[in-house]
Amino acid sequence: MEGHGSSLVEGNPWALVGMSGLVILVLAGVSYIGTRKPKRVPGPLQNLLEMAISGLFSFVESVIGPQGRKFAPFMSTLFLYILAMNLLGLIPGFRSPTSGLNMTVALALCSFLYVQFQGIRLNGPWGYVKHLMGEPIWLAPLMFPIHIIGELAKPLSLSIRLFGNIFGEDKIIVILAGMSPFLIKPWLKCLPIQFPMMPFAVFTSLIQALIFMVLTAAYLTLMVGEHEEEPVSASH
Amino acid sequence: MLYFAALAIAVGLGLPIAVLSAALGQGKVGASAMDGIARQPEAAGKIQLSMIIALAFIESLVIYALLMFFLLQGRLPETAAILKTLAR
Repeated sequence: MEGHGSSLVEGNPWALVGMSGLVILVLAGVSYIGTRKPKRVPGPLQNLLEMAISGLFSFVESVIGPQGRKFAPFMSTLFLYILAMNLLGLIPGFRSPTSGLNMTVALALCSFLYVQFQGIRLNGPWGYVKHLMGEPIWLAPLMFPIHIIGELAKPLSLSIRLFGNIFGEDKIIVILAGMSPFLIKPWLKCLPIQFPMMPFAVFTSLIQALIFMVLTAAYLTLMVGEHEEEPVSASH
Repeated sequence: MLYFAALAIAVGLGLPIAVLSAALGQGKVGASAMDGIARQPEAAGKIQLSMIIALAFIESLVIYALLMFFLLQGRLPETAAILKTLAR
């Protein structure tokens, strides 16, 4: 898809890194401004940030259990960061950093290393290896490679899922926008037929960010869950 | 020539088969979620959340097929080159 895109974005391999840096600056700036002078009765920005944080923290606790509060900052950061990066691609002139495999693999590696580190930290090194060996100890030679492959498949699927979704939705919007001039030729230059796809793209961005966070939390629960007692959840 | 024909068929048929299977699976998930919500409306929040997670899992399999589609489509030859080869 050629256009009159500037050389800053079009073929530049550092464009996505720059976009990601922009997202980081905006998120950090909003957080800094919102928490500079916290008031008892909060102003609008502080109120919004408090709503977001309390909602995300309680959601992470509902997935992991009552001890999930320690892990909630990382999960919430993951969610907000991925959400902001996904939504950035919908603004004309910007590209989603997550539409490149580099960024999604980096995020998946972060979540993978975080989960493994928490597993080693909370289970102890021997408990971590014992968890990988499975339940009946005489099945360990079979379960150990299977568990290792399973652990390695988790960041792979996380990265490809996020990359495929965001890249696919961006590609669909680009193809639809490129198709439009040929539909109504004489009196309307181009009909923006990609506009019905935009709300769907917003929905997909939200869902994919949520899925990434929920899956990381679920993997953490699997890794750490045998250490503490089972959290009492309101099940049927 | 048979190679390119087979490649074209694979490119055309691979993704729709994945989409068909995923649609069946997601329909089953949605139906069970509806049943669950109808049986116990106060658990609707939890059931809805689990349904969305299950849907995203199934959809990610289709995304793998879409990536394979993009990879294979890059290997298809140009139509002009094929026509020139056939005309000789």
